[in-house]
Amino acid sequence: MGSNLFTSALSGMNAAQYGLVTTQHNIANAATPGYTRQEVLLGARNPQLYGGAFLGQGVDIVGVRRIYDQFLNTQVLQEQNQASYLSSYYSAIKQIDNLVADPVAGASPAIQDFFNAMNGVANAPESIPARQTLLSSAQFVANRFQAIDQRLTEVANSLNSQISGSVNNINSYAQQIAVLNGNIKRATAAAGQAQQPNDLLDQRDQLVSQLNKEIKVSVQQDANGTLSVFVGSGQALVLDDQAMSLRVIQSTTDPSRVDIAYKSGNNIIPLQQSSIQGGNLGAYFAFRDQSLEPERNALGRVALGLAASVNQQNQLGQDLKGVLGGNLFNAAAPRVDQNANNTGTATVSASIVNVSALTTSDYQLKFDGTNYSMVRLSDNAVTNLGPALPQTVDGFTVSLSAGAMAAGDSFLIRPVANAARDLAVMVNDPARIAAAAPMRASAALTNAGTAKISSGTVNAPPPANVNLQAAVNITFTSSTTFTVLGAVPAVAGPVAYTPGQDISYNGWTVQITGTPAAGDVFNVTTNSNAAGDNRNALLMAGLQTQNLLANGTASFQGAYGQLVGEVGAKTHELDITSQAQNNMVAQTVASQQAVSGVNLDEEAANLLRFQRAYQAAAKAMQIANTMFDALLSL
Amino acid sequence: MRISSSTIFDSNVTALNLQQAKLLQTQMQIATGRRILTASDDPVGAVRALEVGQSDATNTQYASNRVAAVNALSMSESTLQSVTSLIQDVRVAAVGAGNGSLGNSGRSAIAADFSRRLQELVGLANSMDEVGNYLFAGFQSKTQPFAATPAGVAYFGDDGQRNIQVSASFQMASSDSGADVFMRAKNGNGSFFTQAAPANMGSGLVSIGSVTNPALLTGNSYTVSFSVVAGITTYDITNSTTATVISAGNPYVSGQAINFDGMQIDIKGAPANGDVFTVVPSVNESVFKTISDLVDALNAPVVGANLANSLSHGINNLDNALNNVLNTRASLGLRLNQIDALQVTGEDLGMNFKQTLSALQDVDYNKSISDLTLQKTVLQAAQQSFVKVSDLSLFNYL
Repeated sequence: MGSNLFTSALSGMNAAQYGLVTTQHNIANAATPGYTRQEVLLGARNPQLYGGAFLGQGVDIVGVRRIYDQFLNTQVLQEQNQASYLSSYYSAIKQIDNLVADPVAGASPAIQDFFNAMNGVANAPESIPARQTLLSSAQFVANRFQAIDQRLTEVANSLNSQISGSVNNINSYAQQIAVLNGNIKRATAAAGQAQQPNDLLDQRDQLVSQLNKEIKVSVQQDANGTLSVFVGSGQALVLDDQAMSLRVIQSTTDPSRVDIAYKSGNNIIPLQQSSIQGGNLGAYFAFRDQSLEPERNALGRVALGLAASVNQQNQLGQDLKGVLGGNLFNAAAPRVDQNANNTGTATVSASIVNVSALTTSDYQLKFDGTNYSMVRLSDNAVTNLGPALPQTVDGFTVSLSAGAMAAGDSFLIRPVANAARDLAVMVNDPARIAAAAPMRASAALTNAGTAKISSGTVNAPPPANVNLQAAVNITFTSSTTFTVLGAVPAVAGPVAYTPGQDISYNGWTVQITGTPAAGDVFNVTTNSNAAGDNRNALLMAGLQTQNLLANGTASFQGAYGQLVGEVGAKTHELDITSQAQNNMVAQTVASQQAVSGVNLDEEAANLLRFQRAYQAAAKAMQIANTMFDALLSL
Repeated sequence: MRISSSTIFDSNVTALNLQQAKLLQTQMQIATGRRILTASDDPVGAVRALEVGQSDATNTQYASNRVAAVNALSMSESTLQSVTSLIQDVRVAAVGAGNGSLGNSGRSAIAADFSRRLQELVGLANSMDEVGNYLFAGFQSKTQPFAATPAGVAYFGDDGQRNIQVSASFQMASSDSGADVFMRAKNGNGSFFTQAAPANMGSGLVSIGSVTNPALLTGNSYTVSFSVVAGITTYDITNSTTATVISAGNPYVSGQAINFDGMQIDIKGAPANGDVFTVVPSVNESVFKTISDLVDALNAPVVGANLANSLSHGINNLDNALNNVLNTRASLGLRLNQIDALQVTGEDLGMNFKQTLSALQDVDYNKSISDLTLQKTVLQAAQQSFVKVSDLSLFNYL
């Protein structure tokens, strides 16, 4: 019984030592990320029957466990995944937000300057300085669009490196988890199922948490202590102590983009983007596909709308040298990319036919072996094009320039993606701005009647009629009829006269008002020496306030304003939701920490407690010793 | 509830970050004077500000367009003012030239003066603006519009009128073609033109005439030819276009109305046998031709009533030309008035836009500075309480 006293006291001292070490471990790791506080599990030893009574034998150390709540941990994982998605998306889109709405750096002031200068030319069409100002402001518009597009490209490039950085992180985490899985498996096997390698488990949980910030994962606890990690639509990233990896690959549909592929052994399988959700990586793809590229297209649509509309009007005019106007701006052609998996020989080209009908979406041209179809990628609306090309969809025409498509082939068509980048001024001679109309109408001085003729307008759209500048005589045979000489095709016989009605031949339109007398003559001629004619400049200046985009619902600056509004609203939304999500994370982390976190005051109290327990057990040892001494000295 | 030590630090750091971010935002707003720093601060407001800013800039552009229009119109107006007084001077002198006491030399002196006046008028019609563009050349502003030819002064411009966008919905003509101003005055009474044949020997003076019934007008030419037989004067009226005699042997009474085909003229004095007067439809006559005809008439020897007839018609045509110029000036004045009215509307509109813009994007300093003070106080409180709370630890007492 005396020896019992020693063993019991010793077990108490042991237990107190374990307690002290564990407390010290907790204190030391109070700031370690992912650390879960630990406690020593103690159990009373089985009693022994001595003289009819069960006598306690001291304390056993059952184990050291971590105070861990699986439910709270899972909740933190979920919330953190969403939070890192939102905050990555927010910081990405914030870069565009700062750029587009700036009252100085945005495109809107440049467009305004351009049209102000156009008004200047309309006010003084013969003035070379006014025309030079217009060319400078046209250059300014082009530069501004290019600069914004360039900035978007920089954002896209840094996005690509962020994507590969994120993929590297994912692969590195997967590797580390696999290694830890191996260690945990061996440790558990060595120590038996009852004892857990707590700190290894913490490390692994921390790695899973970090991995989960990059990409949404699902985990499965296996019987041997290992953790299987799955990403995407169930692709295993970690199985036992084996790690698979993700790869950044060039997109098959669009060579300018990157996609993610899953590498298992020697197989590389592209992952559907829809399966990469949440986390930083999900945010990068969502930002690219839902914000960056649509905004680039929106910017391109404004640039293309401006370029094409101004070009169209300029082509209907005549410059200071008396030559018909050409293109003032370079209006970029749609970009067409062939799918890397195409088996056919087709080359497809596309061209813009109607600026107003253009959308900000990209399109996919598909062929099923018989029929072509066009998918608008923004809303997946499918237009069946039938068995033959060319066909027109949403303002652009696709045609087969060479070869033939095989069944299953596809092409990505981006009608306005390059328009902002490629916007450029095509004219460097101020005299080449077509401020005048190419024809003019006048009444003969000998006319006896009071009828007047308007100066005339050129019929849109270009190209201008080849006979536009041919001389045409309108001669009144009476006050109600006239004959036309010089029109192509020739007009036979008299035409009835209605005052103010449009009279249209050879691609121009004039109006005659008032009462003509028989024999009155009106001439439409080429507009030679017309330095002071501003008719076409006025029409070009008027383009500013017309709703020429989005099916006639938006002006150039209006469409740009929509872009700013969309970016602003999305940024605002992400600001609010990511803040809310961060609060959510803070709350769940606080709940999880309330269970698993280290409280230093508590640990201080434990230090004192175990110190006292040790001292008391030591005292019991001393008493047992004294008892032996007493016994021995008998 | 159990709280882990790291939670105390983490949540305090989060709170401090949030407070600092708010403080920075307010500080930036005050420093830039802008309430909306990026579109996301107020997406609706930012877009609205872009739209209003565009409207304001366009409105400002219309104002400078109006300045250009006023310049052009005023220049035309002041030129036409000189033209008006020139024509008026010529008219006064032409009336004076009919004075019978003037001899040939007196008349040729007046003719010489008229020739100079004609040169002066051509000069005025060829007026240029401050950068050398002809005011009255239509679209061909670099081409001299009026020049002397063997057939008199001719117009080399066109009918073009330049329009200027003076408001969002209104284009105003800022120029008038020289043809309309100088070349398109109808001669005679605007409907027909009476003339004494140059060979007339009698003192018959034909009136300008008037239209009594527009429905009967034919647009044909007529002659009224006189015969004096045994002291009795009669006249025949012939439609020379159709070569039909309308009436013959009408007894002539000086000053009595002669009516035919909706027209009425009278002839005063004593026409000689064989004298012929013609009535032809009015045509456009340039003011230059009117003056040059007067010069010719004044330089010609006086026979019968030829000078009186020429002066009478010349003065009438000068009146027509003057009316034409005055009409243009009235139209110029009207346009200048319209611009004044548009200017007032435009300025009001601009003021509205600027107020809206200011309300949308400018910072409210009272509110922002009060916000700043509050945020500063909150941040200070958070910092101080954090220091106090983090100082609490049981280890302090061990």
